[in-house]
Amino acid sequence: MHLKKLIIVPAHNEQANLKRTIQEIQQLTDDYHVLVIDDGSSDTSAEEARACGVEVVSLVFNLGIGGAVQTGLCYALENGFDVVIRIDADGQHDPASIKALLEPLMNKDADMAIGSRFLESLPTFQPGPMRLCGIHFLAGLISTLTGMKITDPTSGFCAWNTRAMTRFAEEYPIDFPEPESIVTAVRSGLKIREVPVRMRHRQAGVSSIHHLMSIYYMVKVTCAILIRMMSAV
Amino acid sequence: MTVKILALIFSTVLFLTVVELIRRRRLSFKYALGWLLIAGLTFFMALFDTILFRLAYGLGFELPSNFIFFAALIFTAFLSLLLTIFVCQQNSRNEKIAQKLGLIENKLEALSRK
Repeated sequence: MHLKKLIIVPAHNEQANLKRTIQEIQQLTDDYHVLVIDDGSSDTSAEEARACGVEVVSLVFNLGIGGAVQTGLCYALENGFDVVIRIDADGQHDPASIKALLEPLMNKDADMAIGSRFLESLPTFQPGPMRLCGIHFLAGLISTLTGMKITDPTSGFCAWNTRAMTRFAEEYPIDFPEPESIVTAVRSGLKIREVPVRMRHRQAGVSSIHHLMSIYYMVKVTCAILIRMMSAV
Repeated sequence: MTVKILALIFSTVLFLTVVELIRRRRLSFKYALGWLLIAGLTFFMALFDTILFRLAYGLGFELPSNFIFFAALIFTAFLSLLLTIFVCQQNSRNEKIAQKLGLIENKLEALSRK
């Protein structure tokens, strides 16, 4: 069964990392289409991507990771892709784990597969103590509210099938897409499976989440999740 | 006493209205949070009005109602400013989209002529 597979690479000012990430993806043996979503970058991210020969969608202004990923999902639906995989431009997601990530989707076991850093003792990058605390808290919150046990709810390394794509192309969380989309997925009746994946330390540049904002971020995520539990599916 | 009850009813209605708007996806998290906080704060202050009175007198207001009006005024002014900023951002984004759209149409036209 031949599936049309798309890898989306949302990028915001990642000129230092993008070329390396794309080249890593291009070394994969399976045939994947690649789409870079330039989320209103003010640097040369789009040019770097085009120089590698991949397609780029440049957003006129910055929408944030939620908007960028959603753009990728819309592109996938419009072009008849069967599965979409998200690989972040900063190099944290190891493309070698993509095959494992796609397995539950291929087996029709899941509509959405999430790559977790905590499922196996793979030599994978572990986040700092503060973030770990936050991740465990969110995992507990989501488990309590939805019954779904996700070990890595902030992981952006995920894959969607057409069913999940269709739901999220219509509406995708703006503020904290990763944990919020888990809640939405469960409430929409989408099947989620977690897969152990390998992640690395961000190669260069600055992450969009700073240490000082961690607690503020946690409060906001919790409120967003609670509100999402109230929303219409 | 009736003021207290009115305030409790008003804040509850506000809270439930905002929740319903969120449920129907007419309001999103970012913009709803402020309203939920205000409704909650109003409910809390109405319930524990002694705290409200102490705060009012402590700040130098002759009557608690003066403080309530003042607070409501400040809140409304602040909210208006926030909305103005938001509208400004929307305008500049719309301009960018309008321009981009025009440029894309031009490109398409040029391509179809070739």
